[in-house]
Order: sequence, then structure tokens, then C-alpha cells
Amino acid sequence: MLSSIAKPFAALALAAALISIVLAALGASPVGVFAALGEGAFGNWYACVDTIVKSTPLVFTGLAVSLAFSGALWNIGADGQLTIGAIAAGAIGPHLGNFPHAIAIAIILAAGALGGAVWGGVAGWLRARRDVNEVISTIMLNFVAVQALSWVVHGPLMEPSRAYPTSSPIARAAQLEFYFAPSRINLGMILAVALAAACYLLLFRTGAGFELRAMGRNRRAATFFAIRIPALTLWVMALSGALAGLGGAVQISAISHRLYEKLSPGWGFEAIAVALVARLNPLGIIPAAILFGALDNGSQAMQRTQGVSPELVQVIQGLVILIILAFDTPAWSGLRENIFGAPHDAAAAAPLAEMPDA
Amino acid sequence: MLRANAITKRFGRTLALDAVDFEALPGEIHALVGENGAGKTTLMNVLAGSLAADRGETILDGRPLRAGSPRAALAAGIAAVHQSPMLFERMTWEENLALGGFDTGAGALDLDAIAMRARSLAAKLGFEMPPAGATVENRSVAERVRLEVLRALSFNPRVLILDEPTSVLAPSELAAFLDLLRNLRGEGRIVVLITHKLAEAIAVADRITVLRRGRVVARTTPAETSEEKLAGLMIGEIVAQPAASATPPHSGDPVLQIEDLTLDDHTGRRILDRLSFRVAAGEIVGIAGVDGNGQTELVELLAGARRPSGGKITVLDGSSDGAMAVIPQNRDLDGLILDMRLWENLILARPLRERVTSHGWLDTARAIDLCRELIDRFRIHVPGPETIAGALSGGNRQRLEVARAIASRPRVIVAHNICRGLDLAATAEVHRTILDFSAGSGAVILISSDLDELLAICGRLLIISRGKIRETNRGERDPERLGLLMAGARD
Repeated sequence: MLSSIAKPFAALALAAALISIVLAALGASPVGVFAALGEGAFGNWYACVDTIVKSTPLVFTGLAVSLAFSGALWNIGADGQLTIGAIAAGAIGPHLGNFPHAIAIAIILAAGALGGAVWGGVAGWLRARRDVNEVISTIMLNFVAVQALSWVVHGPLMEPSRAYPTSSPIARAAQLEFYFAPSRINLGMILAVALAAACYLLLFRTGAGFELRAMGRNRRAATFFAIRIPALTLWVMALSGALAGLGGAVQISAISHRLYEKLSPGWGFEAIAVALVARLNPLGIIPAAILFGALDNGSQAMQRTQGVSPELVQVIQGLVILIILAFDTPAWSGLRENIFGAPHDAAAAAPLAEMPDA
Repeated sequence: MLRANAITKRFGRTLALDAVDFEALPGEIHALVGENGAGKTTLMNVLAGSLAADRGETILDGRPLRAGSPRAALAAGIAAVHQSPMLFERMTWEENLALGGFDTGAGALDLDAIAMRARSLAAKLGFEMPPAGATVENRSVAERVRLEVLRALSFNPRVLILDEPTSVLAPSELAAFLDLLRNLRGEGRIVVLITHKLAEAIAVADRITVLRRGRVVARTTPAETSEEKLAGLMIGEIVAQPAASATPPHSGDPVLQIEDLTLDDHTGRRILDRLSFRVAAGEIVGIAGVDGNGQTELVELLAGARRPSGGKITVLDGSSDGAMAVIPQNRDLDGLILDMRLWENLILARPLRERVTSHGWLDTARAIDLCRELIDRFRIHVPGPETIAGALSGGNRQRLEVARAIASRPRVIVAHNICRGLDLAATAEVHRTILDFSAGSGAVILISSDLDELLAICGRLLIISRGKIRETNRGERDPERLGLLMAGARD
């Protein structure tokens, strides 16, 4: 039997084999392409740093998704929550020039978390009070968030010269610094790692986390034991949104310093794959996010040196996700129950036979 | 003729079936009896093709069956009704039956035709189908099982295997159901009835095969055996244990007061109609009724899983928080989280969770210790606290639920059909635990469709029928009269 650690590697090897076939068919050299991928992702100090920078938003959104999914709340809206968090950070950021650095950072991050919490909380409230399926509401709220961003950078938050559809840059005091200059490593990744540990403790070491997991595994049993599902739903969706929104604020504070359209290349969606690959375990989110960040980063080197199209990189990512999931079904069992109703398959998962009583 | 030769099946270190020979003839009802864990269900799964045996073969009318293929078994004419209903909860009953043999094929799905055929078959068997378009999730357990039987019969099978079908039927439905089995026998079919209700096996079967710990220990007929003999064969030694004597009507202080409790469903239909009753300390109150008369909803209200439309539930003396422990009827769906560990299932109960939580932090080591303690005290046969609940047998799952309820130290235990599907020894043990609890001045509400069980241990009996509750006369013990009341008769 493959251990839980060996499985993802076996999946990667299988993905590599499949991709080699595709590459060979296209006339490219698999060895050259993979070498370029590795070189681009981890080949030197700068590449490594860049990989980490690219992974950071995925850790935030991945944690957001894994927390909600643990309670069988299918938050597909991390992208929208991240975007609203970024808008909140981008809106308040230019006005923080008179604050000390630490305070300004605290304010801009809090603004992002609050924005995301509101966005996630709306979906949570709709589910808890009006029984609106959160899959639908979060997808819809994604559209609203993207249009809201487009509107603010063309309207109320547009920079003073009115030449470009971007916001004014945030104050120097509100910018997360590159502590390892000239590299772009910043406090964001450190914060992300701390949050992953916090989420792990929350899920597996607190009463509230237990209630959340119980709700995720068997909603009916949870109601029978007086777990307050509506309240839990609201809080978890808000917390999930806050994590994603924090990711948006970190991106503004550390990297982009201003708002512009299409800020997120789909971090909230990629996060679903990240969370599933990590089997919803918050500690697994970090390596999973780095894997995806490395694929992103390495792909640019592939394009430069091997002339492989960027689309093929997405094909590779898709194959990796599919194969990892095929190797690892447990993360889906909850989803299956949610779609097909009460967990009859839980009985099927148990040995079909009765085990002896004595 | 259905024949199984030297079937052996092993699960890990457990030998579930040990060279079992089994044979059933056309025009015969063959009862397969045994304790929980004797291997009855495993044998059925092998016969029905949903499990491949390690050794041995199944032969129907001289042709060996392909092992491990339910489709091949069905094609050969073997249909099975499983113990826990395997239905699609969020689909209508007609859609569930569409997966059966009522559909004439021809490409288009004709739900009306399916419903018509189902209704006519049901009428022949003496029961009604739910209203058109009703989804399965809101139906009672009994209705679900009937739906499954109907689905199996829709294939017009040569062999029908039923796993504990009668355990969920009301007394009034039982006679009709046994008649149905006789009709099927009359048509020359082979009926295999898995049960541990010995009276039933003797009443209806032509031959009886007894399994114990994966081996056939006896092949007999109703004429040459008796309930006592069968019980002895099943358990291996004669355990003369009448479940318990009924508790005397107790006159301790009232603990629980229910006033005008009313529940309407979302369509405005009245499910529970102004229930009022009291339960005193040390008292076991039975609520008898045919499934689907509001019992499930009453349990949900008592558990706090649902809000009443009117009326009050008051726990007298002390706070109401954690004063009530509920053991829901559907172990696998409502009472346990099968893919979580035993200790995690234990702390589903709020009082136990609070005991191992301080300032919000969960002390897993303490939870595991607590679980180990209860495993010992209630003699739950499992490797340890880290075992996944789904790996437990039915009897052990129930022991776990009862242990959890008692350990929560409630004032009142509400238990719904707790002995359904349990064998004699396990039933006696659960009853003994409940009696001990009440002897320590705990109050118990025992909701059941099994009159014998209620008469055995309850001091007072209430009847629930169409959402209304009524007291019975003290000392009313006549099952026939009580059965009439359960069916909704007025005095």
C-alpha cells in the first residue's frame, strides 16, 4: 500500500510520464522541457524566491477553501473574497502615510481580512438563513467582485492623472518590505505559514474545529447532537473569506502596491485544487501551494528556453491535478455525500460483512 | 436449486465464513438465523454477488455464478434486499424504482407506468405507496424497506434474499409480509430469509440453517426445533436471560414535562398534535407506535435538532443544557459519523465534549482515555479508541451509542428503536444498561415499534398514532388491544 507521502510522488511520476508522451508527440524534448521547468522553478536563489512569492496567495486561498470544505461548505468564491479584500486594502492603503509602519501594516491587512470576511459571510448568511446553496452564491459573488474591481479602478479609486485604470499607490508605510532585498521574500509567506499552523490547530485541536469537521462528515448527526449549524456556517464562511481577503491584502501590500483589473489570475480557483491535493489538511496546503507556484514559475522558463506554449503548461497542471486526485479519493467522499444526500456510501465504505461481536 | 459449496471468506484476520455449505430449494422459504456477526450478511453478499468469496462457489440450477458480480447474479435471477436501505435519498420513490425491473426499457423513462406497476404490486402485497412524487429522504424506515422489497421483486427473481426485512415492520404489517413470502414460495420461488427473530423463522420457514461464527452449526426444520433450541444453537450455550422484568410504575419527582408540543412541516401538515406528558425520575416510559406516526420528529424535537411550532419541553429542576441524551433510531445516519474515530464519535455528545475541552481547546488525550474507559466498561469489542466507527458491527455500534448516552450523565435518555437489528444477547445487554440507568433515578423515554420490547421493560406505556399521544390504562398488557390502539383505533 502506498503511504500518504509516497502517493503524491507516484502521481507526479505518472503525470510526468503522460506529459512526456504529449511533448514527444509535439516534437519537443521531454528532458529539455522538464529541465527547464525545474531550472525555472528552483534553479537558483531568485527562482526559488519567485516560486515562493507566486505560491503565497495560493496558501491563503488554499487555507480558505480547506477550512470551508472541511465543514462540507463548498466555497468556490475564494477568488471573489480575495478580490474584495484587495479592494479594501487598495482603498485604505494610500491614506496610511502618517501611521508608523507596523500600525499601517496591521490596518491594511485587517481591512483586507474584513473585506473578505464580509464577502464570505454574505454567502454564509444566505446558506444559514435562506438555504441558498453556497456553490451558487459564491460563484455569483465572484462575478460581482470582479466587476466591482473593474468599476473602482475606472471610477472612485482611479489614480489622479486619470491616465491608467489603476488606483493610487498605497503609502510607503503600508508596504510589506522585502526583508531579504534584493529578493522579494516578504512577511506574507511567513504570515501564511503561521496561519496554516493556526488553521490546523483550529480544526484538530479545538472544540469548534471538531464541530466543524463533524458537520462536514455527517450533517444529520451534527444536528442530532445540537451542533448549531446555522451559526457555524456563518462563522466558517466569514473566516474562510477573511483568509482569502488577507491574501488579497498581502498581494497589494507586498507586491502590486495598487489595484488594477484582473488582479487575480485565478488564485481562488487554483486553491480548490491546492486544497484537494492537500487532502484539506492545512499543513499540507503549504507544499501543495508551492508545487503549483513552482509549475507557474517554471513554465516561464519553459517558454523562454524551449519554446513551449503557455497553454501546454496549463495542460500539465491539469494532468497533475487529475492524477493526484485519481490516486487519492478520500477528499471527495464528503463532496459525494453532499451531492447525493445522506451518507449511505459511508455504510458501503465499511466492510460489507458484519465484524464479529466477540 | 440454489447451492453454495464450501464458501470461505476472510476479512483481515477475521474469518467471516468458514467452508459454509448452503442449499435452498424452489418453493421453499429457507431461514438463515444467527447472532450479529455470525456471517449471515456476508453469506448473503456472496450469494447475491456483491462480494467475491475467497474459496467456494455458488450454483443456481446447475450453473455456477460468476463470483463478485451483482449484475450476473441478478441476470441469473437472484435479487437481494439489504439490511440498511440503499436508496437515493433526494430522488422520488418512483425514480428509485426506475432502477428496478418495472421499467419496460424502450429508452424513454416512463415514471407513471413504473408508479402504476408498483402500486398494483404493492396492493397485492397489502400496503400503500407514498404520495406521487414524494422524495425518499422524508419517508419512514419502514417505507424505505418496503420500497427496497418492491424494487427487488420488480426483477421477478427466481431467488429473493432478504436481510432482516421484518425488523423494521410494524406488528400490523408483519402478518401481511409473511403472507407475501408464502405467496412467493407458492409461485415456486426460492426465498432466503435472514433473521434473528426466531418466532418468525419458525412460523414461516420450511427449513432453517443456523450460523455461528462463520460456520453452519445446524440444519433443521420448524417441526423438529423450538425457539429455545434455536437460541441455544445460535449463542452456543443456553443463556436463560429474560430481557428484564418490567419496572414498576415509578412515582419519583417529575423530571421532564412536555406541554402541547406541536409540529407542522413546511407544507403546513400537522406532524405532532399537542403532545403533553410527564416523565418522572426512575421511570421508563414507553411510546409505542407504527413507524411514521411522528416518532422521528418527536425525537428530533427532544434532541433540539428541530424547533417546535408550538408548546414546550421543560426539564424540571436544573438547567436544560445537557440534561437530555438522545439515541436516534438510525445508528448509521443520525447517531454516528462512520468515517470518524470512536473517540471522536464519543465527543459528539455535548456534555462529553465539554468534559474534554477547556477554554475552547480540545484535549484529545483525555478524549481517548475517556473512550478507552467506556470501551472497557461497556464491553465494546474493538481494537481501540482510534478505530473508525464504520468498522464496528451493528451490536458494537449500539453499545457505543448507549455508552455515550449514559456517560453524558443526563437526567433523561430518549431512545428510539435501540434494539432494532440487534441479536438476543445484545438486546438483553442494552435493556440491562437502560434498567440500571433508571434504577439510578434516571428517566427514560423508550420509543419503539416493538411491543414485546416495551412490555418487557417499561413501567408505563403511551401510544402514538397520527401525531397524537394517549395514555394507556395502567396494567394494560394485552398486545392485541395495544396493537389496535397503535393502528389508531379509539378505545
